Amino acid sequence: MDRTQRLILYALTLIAGAAWIILSAGTGPITQEGPAPQAGFPAPDFTLKNAAGDSFTLSELKGNAVLVNMWATWCPPCEAEMPAIEAMYKEYMAQGFIVLAVNQTFQDNPFEITPFTKEHNLTFPILLDETGETARMYQVRSLPSSYFIDRFGVITEVVIGGPMSEALLRTRIEEALK
Amino acid sequence: MLEFFQNLFAPPRHMILLIVAAWIGLTLAERRTGRHQVGKEDLNNITFYGLIAFVLGGRLSYILQNMSAFSKSPIGIISINPDLFDPPGGLAAAVIGLLVYAQRRQIPLWNALDALTPFFAMIAIGMGLSRIASGDGFGIPTGLPWGIDLWNATRHPTQIYETLASLLILILVWRFKPIPHPGFLFLTFAALTALSQLILQAFRANNSVFFEKYRGEQVLAWVVLLACFILLESKFNSKSKTG
Repeated sequence: MDRTQRLILYALTLIAGAAWIILSAGTGPITQEGPAPQAGFPAPDFTLKNAAGDSFTLSELKGNAVLVNMWATWCPPCEAEMPAIEAMYKEYMAQGFIVLAVNQTFQDNPFEITPFTKEHNLTFPILLDETGETARMYQVRSLPSSYFIDRFGVITEVVIGGPMSEALLRTRIEEALK
Repeated sequence: MLEFFQNLFAPPRHMILLIVAAWIGLTLAERRTGRHQVGKEDLNNITFYGLIAFVLGGRLSYILQNMSAFSKSPIGIISINPDLFDPPGGLAAAVIGLLVYAQRRQIPLWNALDALTPFFAMIAIGMGLSRIASGDGFGIPTGLPWGIDLWNATRHPTQIYETLASLLILILVWRFKPIPHPGFLFLTFAALTALSQLILQAFRANNSVFFEKYRGEQVLAWVVLLACFILLESKFNSKSKTG
């Protein structure tokens, strides 16, 4: 291929590319309709009870930034990140930050939950997913799984695995509180 | 099949795919070192220092962008969380690491990049596969028969498109011979990758927005494509002047 042929190829490719950019403009970003456990989508709603029988509904917490943390007592990284979550909960609570720690009760020992929360001095709501319905809605495949939700009920970040450090929690909470 | 794959490599296990891709890429690159006048040891060292620079640079860049969070929790600087990472910052650090190592060992940069091209091509495939597993980089809704059910809709399988495009590019650059000038292989790979991204990003649902309506990733791919063409042509010109 000589120089002229190459230049024609470059020019045609760039013109076609620019035309494609213009043609496909205006369709993105797509507003994510319907809830899904993915950043950019409305968080799937759920109502769960804590050990005392009090109900918590996620959608009723709109206006606050929420961390939905899926955990179990037998999961070492879940246990390791609890002190950091508790510290951040206390620090950002006044700014409208709430933690909903959803215990995977359907695959956990319910009698170990209260001793666990007392041992770690956890003050945020510990909810019990006894049927696994919430875990299915959030497509939980690894523990811990954390979903940061903004004041409008939209997931801003998903963190799979752990333990999360305080620095990570701070950056994600501050983003969700914006 | 897709569901089995997604369950098997569900995050954080999807990172295994990237590691395996990097290992295969390095093995492929090693097989072609002689063709680019780069020693196997140098290639391995470049990759090693590049990866170290990528990891450290990515973390450092993330820290600099979130100084207030780290000033309150400085121990987080050495946290093992992979989420405390800025990929563009890591990439910039890896490029700097590559440049410094190549200069110190007096390895011609374009030869080093040509030698590493199979590695880069495999990384692109690994990224596509890890996105299939994690569901990131998902497509816009579609009624086409090959759409996949993901995040509440039947969507363009953009992650599969990207993986297939990357595989095709690897096959093309692997079969190229002869190489007309140093840098040709790498620049061709970069141009083809940019072109595939320019086309495929139109089907992505979660692009960044440029000037309120254009897809940022497409604009970036177009600029990279332009830069590749300029560099390719300047290489051809300098070769014709010297040759």
